[in-house]
Amino acid sequence: MIALLTRRARAQWPLLLSLLAVLTLGATLLGTCALLVTHTSERAVEVAASRADPDDVEVTAYTVTIAAADARSVAADTRTVLTSAIAPFSATTSTRASSNMRTLPSHTDEDRGLLSEVYLSGVDGLRDQARLIAGRWPEKSGDTVLFDNTARLLGLKVGSRVHLGAELGRDPAPPMNVTVVGLVHPLPDAGWDRDPLGGTGYDPDPKDAVYAQDVNAYGPFLVTLDDLLASGSALDRLEVTARPDLSAPTGPALDRLRASVNGADRRLGGVLGDRVSIERVASPLPKTLFDDRSQQELTAGSVLALALIGILLTAIALALAGRLTTGVRAEESALLTALGTSRGQAALAAAVEAAALAALAAALAVPASSVLHSLLTHMQPLAGAGLAARPAVTGVQVLAVGCGAVALALLHVGLAVRPVAAGGERRGRRELLARSGADLLLFALAAVGWWQLRAQPAGAGSRADAVRVLAPALLLTAGTALTLRLLPPLLRRAEGLAGQARGLVLPLAGFQAARRPQAYAAGLLIGLACAAATFGTAFGSTWTVSQHEQADLSVGTDLALTLDAPPVTGQSAEVAAATGGVISPVADRNVAVGQWLGGSGASPRLVAMDTRHAADLLRGRGSDSVADGLTPASAVTGPLLPAGSTPTITGTATRDTPVLVTPRLLLQDDAGLRTACSGPPIVLDGRPHRVPGCVTVAGLRLVAVALPFSGGWEGQPNSGIDITMTLPGADSSPGSAAEPVTWSARAASAEAGQLTAPAVTAAGNRLRFRADVQFADPADLSRVLVATTFPDPGPMPLVVAERFATDVSARAGTKLSLTFGLTPINAVVSRIVPAIPSAPGSPAALADVDTLSRVLVAHGDFDSPVTGWWAGHARSADGLHLGKITTRTGETARLVGSPLRSSLPAVLKVLVAAAVALLLGGVVLHVAYDVQLRALEVARLRGLGMSRRDIRAALLGEHAAVLLPLIVAGALVGAIATWAVAPLLIRSDTGAAPVPPATAHWPWGAFGILAAVLILGAGLAVAIVVTVQARRADAAHLRVAS
Amino acid sequence: MTAPLLTVSGVHRSFGAVRALRDISFEVEPGTMVALVGRSGSGKTTLLNVIGGLDRPDSGTVTVDGVDVTALDEDGLSQLRRERVSYVFQTFGLIPVLSAAENVGVPLRLARVDRPDRERRVELLLDLVGLAGHARQRPGELSGGQQQRVAIARALAASPRLLIADEPTGQLDAETGLAVMGLIRGVVESEGVTALVSTHDPVMMALADRVIHIADGRLTT
Ligand SMILES: Nc1ncnc2c1ncn2[C@@H]1O[C@H](COP(=O)(O)OP(=O)(O)OP(=O)(O)O)[C@@H](O)[C@H]1O
Ligand SMILES: [Mg+2]
Repeated sequence: MIALLTRRARAQWPLLLSLLAVLTLGATLLGTCALLVTHTSERAVEVAASRADPDDVEVTAYTVTIAAADARSVAADTRTVLTSAIAPFSATTSTRASSNMRTLPSHTDEDRGLLSEVYLSGVDGLRDQARLIAGRWPEKSGDTVLFDNTARLLGLKVGSRVHLGAELGRDPAPPMNVTVVGLVHPLPDAGWDRDPLGGTGYDPDPKDAVYAQDVNAYGPFLVTLDDLLASGSALDRLEVTARPDLSAPTGPALDRLRASVNGADRRLGGVLGDRVSIERVASPLPKTLFDDRSQQELTAGSVLALALIGILLTAIALALAGRLTTGVRAEESALLTALGTSRGQAALAAAVEAAALAALAAALAVPASSVLHSLLTHMQPLAGAGLAARPAVTGVQVLAVGCGAVALALLHVGLAVRPVAAGGERRGRRELLARSGADLLLFALAAVGWWQLRAQPAGAGSRADAVRVLAPALLLTAGTALTLRLLPPLLRRAEGLAGQARGLVLPLAGFQAARRPQAYAAGLLIGLACAAATFGTAFGSTWTVSQHEQADLSVGTDLALTLDAPPVTGQSAEVAAATGGVISPVADRNVAVGQWLGGSGASPRLVAMDTRHAADLLRGRGSDSVADGLTPASAVTGPLLPAGSTPTITGTATRDTPVLVTPRLLLQDDAGLRTACSGPPIVLDGRPHRVPGCVTVAGLRLVAVALPFSGGWEGQPNSGIDITMTLPGADSSPGSAAEPVTWSARAASAEAGQLTAPAVTAAGNRLRFRADVQFADPADLSRVLVATTFPDPGPMPLVVAERFATDVSARAGTKLSLTFGLTPINAVVSRIVPAIPSAPGSPAALADVDTLSRVLVAHGDFDSPVTGWWAGHARSADGLHLGKITTRTGETARLVGSPLRSSLPAVLKVLVAAAVALLLGGVVLHVAYDVQLRALEVARLRGLGMSRRDIRAALLGEHAAVLLPLIVAGALVGAIATWAVAPLLIRSDTGAAPVPPATAHWPWGAFGILAAVLILGAGLAVAIVVTVQARRADAAHLRVAS
Repeated sequence: MTAPLLTVSGVHRSFGAVRALRDISFEVEPGTMVALVGRSGSGKTTLLNVIGGLDRPDSGTVTVDGVDVTALDEDGLSQLRRERVSYVFQTFGLIPVLSAAENVGVPLRLARVDRPDRERRVELLLDLVGLAGHARQRPGELSGGQQQRVAIARALAASPRLLIADEPTGQLDAETGLAVMGLIRGVVESEGVTALVSTHDPVMMALADRVIHIADGRLTT
């Protein structure tokens, strides 16, 4: 038998070679995908972790209220808990601690009810978080440095000795002395947001003030951490942040890290016991790692789905090759059977041959898949994602290759042993029935798969389930099977038309194409391969376009800057200079809508930007018109104040007890940014008082003034108030706006009824304010006069996202009452849109930032709502250290080039290449076999006087009539599959449904190239085979009996 | 005496060491039926292929209806077979996907005959070979004798001057073979064609006007 097999192999080597090629290709595909979903996947998680933003992997322990005696041990134990939770990864820890408040006797006046309080802070790495302006850093016990503004407010200088009073609260630590050795300025984005006063250095109204007194808080008094822990001060808060070094992680170690960080909170509680009142470990690390893992699993699922298509194609190609082999061997096997070889022996021979082929294929595919995988990882996007790998052999890969080769070889044996209806190909009724049943089953499964995909939840967490993996392959196969059923009737119509022609070439081609039983396997292979190539190409571009769209909408603009601190006067110029584009201040905050604070997890969000420049600023699908109708009709203007000028206030009150006013001026810069400046408390005593330090830069206009009045409740219950504000050098010309500045006055909170008859008049560079104020009610009620250069804007128009609208059941025209911070705002829904730029998927509303500011100001809320900046057409933002910067291009690169997702585009490339190769190979096999089978017929046609040219034309026409519709139909099936499932297979980086929803994208250029490669390639292959065959057809063939 | 329709003179053809034809010369009068007789391997098929232009002699000339076949190029040979010479093969040589009528129509299509004329002629020929009722059947649905009759009808379609049949009855039983031979005899008479038929069946020889014997590539009178 071995002799027979080897002799046969020598005679039929081209056939065996093609079988081996198909087997090897399939096994290589499997091996490569196995490497992608195991080796590269695991690497991707590691690379993603090593590339993670340090903020996303830090672990912070917060502890609150620590007695002086426990300070050291709590700090040390907290550090130990964190470092052991992070082990075996090394970590750098930094500690930040603040003492309880102490009184500052030099600025406290018990009689006047004035209390000043201060606190000490110790910060690891202070030199990286603040800039030294004067003196030196604290080194030894008793040294302290202050923020420059704190020092100015307290009148302290380098060298000043400060006496700190006793601690406030129970069990107070005794007074102490410190020496100011330096002045520093806090650096932005350096963690000062966690300072008790948020890094501002001063708070005229600290939130935790326990005394109903006029309390001012100053601080921090920065000392060394050791000094603080040893100072005998009780700690108000102590936090330790650990940043693990994840530069060279391994997948399993990351999984363990996630678990141990999750458990750190409990361990910290156990270790610290009742030495602290509250302790908590918070870290985004577990979520970051978990998200990475689930993304990687999602990608692996998609890779498997695509691999499955490739394997299916390979199996069909193998079936085709197998069919041709048995066709060629039909006579020989009939002879062997006639000579008495049993079926068992034939099967054994086939099995031995298949085993040899499988072994050879596996031996070739293991190194081939290693090399192919390595090549892939050295190409974009995997290379860019840092996943380049040297060729490696893994157990899973060998297993996948081996199993694949064996499974495919078994398929080959099965096909070889099955008796074929040699030559005649008259399909039995039973086979037809079986095929119809298989088709129906395929359709049913494809429909179920598609429906399942459609019904998948929009939220995160959909993992690589069987449906996702199977759906594309099912849909493509079912579609191709359907077209194979539609093709014959179509060809029969074409045949009817061709038969009308007078000559022989066209009718013969038509008759042959329509009437010859076409090889089902060949048709399936060619149709499915074309469908897969089309699907792969279109899916790739749909995926990429969707990532771009997601990035566009999630950033919402070209460059977004989220400020670390409230904006400061004159910031517009800095941002404009740094970004070099169209800029807008942006307010992005959670709001309360009526009683609704956000139902299903997400809080309602209000995004406000300068809608005048919407076209230049907004990005993302549907953003062109999203802001239409939000822009206020006219701009706000006001008297222009020369830089450095100091307004003065002179006022009188008719009351017998003193009345104080703490004026706030609202200044607007060129870009429309409004910032408030508070003056000192001023007694209305008829004398002029300066409001210093407000007009720091040029180009500021005064657009509003708030005058909050205070006075004890004893004495006369009400008071007439008359205040004149002088603006030296003010230019009251309206600037760009044509109308003159008209001032209007109102009570910030008219419903409180404490301030009546508000009035404002402007004359020259003077503003005169009048009102009647009630002081009888001791409750802390609003007594604020607000004067603005613009009228009350009324309800603020909002464009709301669909989710917002459904959450509050709003329609266009619905009136809403929002609470922004503490200020109530009336708003009206003007339109409902699918999503708000920068807030996709969240219940968000868009408003004009100018309108928002006006509404807030009208309510006496002068705090800037602005939380960031947007820049359109931005050059860059280098050197802008105001907060976190996100760019659209950066976000796109992050989404497209993420190591966790780049396997998908890579495997799409492999799929398309494999499909093209299998299609062309299939065409060659099919045509070569077919033409060889018909050599005699061709010779007879020659005998009938048909010229070679005509024979060639008829054969070419016949194959074109079969192949072209197959290719076109395959492309259609691929396009339909893309349209139906590609958008459903795409998920966002959180695993949720993407916003905006993905829609099929047609890469016409790539399609053109694909069509050219397929049609020209197939055409060339057919032409060569046919030409060779037509030339060979001669008298010799006529000697061979059919 | 009329000019011979077919003149073969001094034809040699070898395949390597095998000398299949050696110095063959003879003439055939128009309107006669000639039987070419010889043992298997004697060179009958080779000779017929050379005459029909399917094969070229190493030397010597073949003239059919005044045309020197050996001097024709590819296109000339195709034209010769379309217009003057037609073949009936031992294995019938019908095109499987075409019906009987369509098979008969193939030479007419090659000659670009108009559809009505073509259909009329196909009908006539099928009638002539007694298969008017089987026009739409495909070769696979016809018996061997019927297939050979379709092949003869096809060979006659383009009104050739010379009909070459290489063992047309070889695949048929004696009775059917006789019927087919009778048919050829009949068309020689009715259509006035000249027929050159190879056979090794003595019964067939009886139907011929003349018998040419060939052995080892040589004529033996
Ligand atoms: N293409 C070829 N290559 C080599 N030898 C050939 C070829 N064609 C014919 N022969 C040889 O030429 C000789 C004549 O063959 P041919 O087919 O003409 O015989 P035949 O008389 O038709 O026989 P049969 O009655 O069996 O059909 C034979 O010996 C054959 O082997
Ligand atoms: Mg012969």
